Amino acid sequence: MTQSSVVRHDQAEAELSLMAHLMRRAGFGVSFEELEKYTAQGYEATVEQLLHPEEAPPWDDALIRRYHVDQNSLMLIESSQSYWLYRMINSKRPLEEKVALFWHGLFATAYGKLNHAKAVVNQTETFRCHGLGTFRNLLSELSRDPAMIFWLDNKDNHKDAPNENYGRELLELFSMGIGTYSEADVKAAARAFTGWTIANQDYMSVRASRDSIWPHGRLDWQFQYRPDDHDDTEKTFLNQTGRFNGEDVLDIICGHPASSWFLAGKLYAFFVSDRPDETATQVIAEDLRRTGGDVRSALRTIFTSDFFKAEEARYAKVKSPAEVVAGVARMAGAFGAPHWSIVNLALDANFMGQEILNPPTVEGWHTGTEWVDTGTLMERVNSAALLVGDPKQPGVQGIIRRLREDQTSYAPEALVDSCLTLSGVLEVSEATRRELTAFVASQGTVSFEPLAGGGCAEQRVADLLQLIVSTREFQMA
Amino acid sequence: MTTTATIRYSHTVGSLSNQGRGLQNPVDVALDSHGVMYVVSRAGPEIPLRMPYKRITMCTVDEEYLGEFGTGGTGPGEFWWPSALAFDSSDRLYLADEALNRITVFSTTGEVLDLWGEAGSSTGQLNGPSGLVFGLDGNLLITDSGNHRIQKFSTDGKFLASWGSHGSDEGQFNTPWGIAVDSQGNVYVSDWGNDRIQKLTSDGGFLQQFPAPGSTPREEERLNRPAGLSVDDEGRILVADWGNERVRVLSSQGVSIATLRGDSRTPSWANEYFEANPEEGTLRLEADLSPDLEPPQGLPAVSDREESANIEKLFWGPTSVRSDGRGNVMVVDSCRHRVQVYRWDGQ
Repeated sequence: MTQSSVVRHDQAEAELSLMAHLMRRAGFGVSFEELEKYTAQGYEATVEQLLHPEEAPPWDDALIRRYHVDQNSLMLIESSQSYWLYRMINSKRPLEEKVALFWHGLFATAYGKLNHAKAVVNQTETFRCHGLGTFRNLLSELSRDPAMIFWLDNKDNHKDAPNENYGRELLELFSMGIGTYSEADVKAAARAFTGWTIANQDYMSVRASRDSIWPHGRLDWQFQYRPDDHDDTEKTFLNQTGRFNGEDVLDIICGHPASSWFLAGKLYAFFVSDRPDETATQVIAEDLRRTGGDVRSALRTIFTSDFFKAEEARYAKVKSPAEVVAGVARMAGAFGAPHWSIVNLALDANFMGQEILNPPTVEGWHTGTEWVDTGTLMERVNSAALLVGDPKQPGVQGIIRRLREDQTSYAPEALVDSCLTLSGVLEVSEATRRELTAFVASQGTVSFEPLAGGGCAEQRVADLLQLIVSTREFQMA
Repeated sequence: MTTTATIRYSHTVGSLSNQGRGLQNPVDVALDSHGVMYVVSRAGPEIPLRMPYKRITMCTVDEEYLGEFGTGGTGPGEFWWPSALAFDSSDRLYLADEALNRITVFSTTGEVLDLWGEAGSSTGQLNGPSGLVFGLDGNLLITDSGNHRIQKFSTDGKFLASWGSHGSDEGQFNTPWGIAVDSQGNVYVSDWGNDRIQKLTSDGGFLQQFPAPGSTPREEERLNRPAGLSVDDEGRILVADWGNERVRVLSSQGVSIATLRGDSRTPSWANEYFEANPEEGTLRLEADLSPDLEPPQGLPAVSDREESANIEKLFWGPTSVRSDGRGNVMVVDSCRHRVQVYRWDGQ
């Protein structure tokens, strides 16, 4: 029996492996066929394609909204989470969704306080539209975002009674980091953002505090600037003095070296590794300074850097629950069309510790190894195994078809190697490979010959895929 | 046909509630021979906590609440993705379920009289039944959306005929939704994915489509993902233009008579709540519920859908339009959990 032809060697394998790494980080993983296509067009070209999502077709959500009427109104949190998962799974703009998830984790805004799921969904739309532009522009959009204004109480930030919540978190958690500004700067920032509120503030506040759905469900909020409630007096902020408004404060923040260092660290942690690296962060920060905070440019620098391509960066991140469920669904080819059970995927991510659109605090989620404990690990494994264990799923069918076209029968080792490759070029330790091989070997050679019972072979492939998605390596990005 | 009649907003029936008097994501309404409205709430998502939100609400057009029956589930009398309702001439209520691929027949008091349908793509099987109407011969026509065809069944579920296939040619369909019959027995289908209405003979022969191919339709005749539709006694076509968040009233030849965008005022069902919560009621009266909207940065205009999410009176996800034969036109406003009632004046 010969080695399967889907398992490449040397240069070709290295290129596929690097592309798989890129697509795990800049997206939610891709099928083997897509990997081959991307590899054929080349790494640099693929990076550029990812960085320009506007050149790919937008997500058409009409079918989803038709069949899931609750995802048309987006009133309930589980409906809204399901809606975003559909998008992560089906979007032709993987980096756009990944960037939205990045900003959602950084500017963590939660349904729990707002009682308004669509307001948080709308905020993620802002991240899609502006998340690859300049940091300065995104902060401007964020400061006008009704969900953020509600979340950090800027609607209660008045000329005569400032509320410092947004000013404080803007500096501490969103743009500069603790230790780079003073308490007086917080107060000045808060005063600069007085009058930045939402329309019909009193009515909307009462509705939110009571979780009122009367009489016709949620009403979208609109940003409103009220000059009569804005403190137009002189302020001193980060050693500069003037009659600053919010936009001036954002200019000063983005001109301060702390902001590029701050953002560089966040980008590194999300896209490169759970282990901090000062040298790499410095490279990203310099790019941000040079380009005026251009996020697209910073991501290009990251994805084409040696530190991103390095072996040490591979599988150096624990996948977030959203990455796990969206990635497995993509691999299984599931949820390409509306199906009511999408909500179970959203609930799975919740049980794994990530309620998208409802982060635990303004600090977002604790990531890295904190994603995993014994309980959440079971959830991760069970959720992933459920989808790929179904040989009827289109993605699983695709893997089986590819195996069958390639060879009629597989020795255990050959099947393991081929399935690891077809699972998105997953590289596993020798110990993991031995365990997978022993599992297949316990039932002997897998044959697709009709007389050998091809259906049985299909189930054995699905069983192996279940074990593959349960490996440590699959749970890493 | 010429008409001098005009259509005007009258009032709104229904408000949002999880259970009891109220609706949640209603998708269709049918009227029995006494004019009682039966409104089906599709609700969702499909998790145990939220399954009771699915139900059939009985009420009058004058806002009298009469009760409810049915719930989410897979057992007899339960439904998963209810999509459409139709009464036969004996006041038996037929309900289509797009997830369970079956038809349930209820009495006017909610007893299950019959249950039939089988999932699949073979002749006589269903894949997402999304529209129901009785033909003049008394048989049931079903838009079989996932199979892109129309199927005809006897009232007890015996397969009789099937028309159409997937495509955009005359007589073909792309995920059709609503279905209606006129006084001559002609059949009208909202060909959702092809942004058109097709008019067919009673045995499925192609007659016409609106807008007509090759024509340059006026904006108010241009459909975007049309949903439920009906043909009234005057031969006018009333269609929920779902993708445009509008209702189009067209002549029998597809010429625009009126376009509705939604005009809802607070229904009486909400009054008790605001009487019990006067602070919220007062603030609501003071609030501007039709605010000016600014397009998002980089976009030329606010989309119709976002406009609907911001301005309460507008239709948001209209799925069905029904005429009661007494001058009322009922628009099922799915994302606002209500039925907006319009009336013909001068008719």
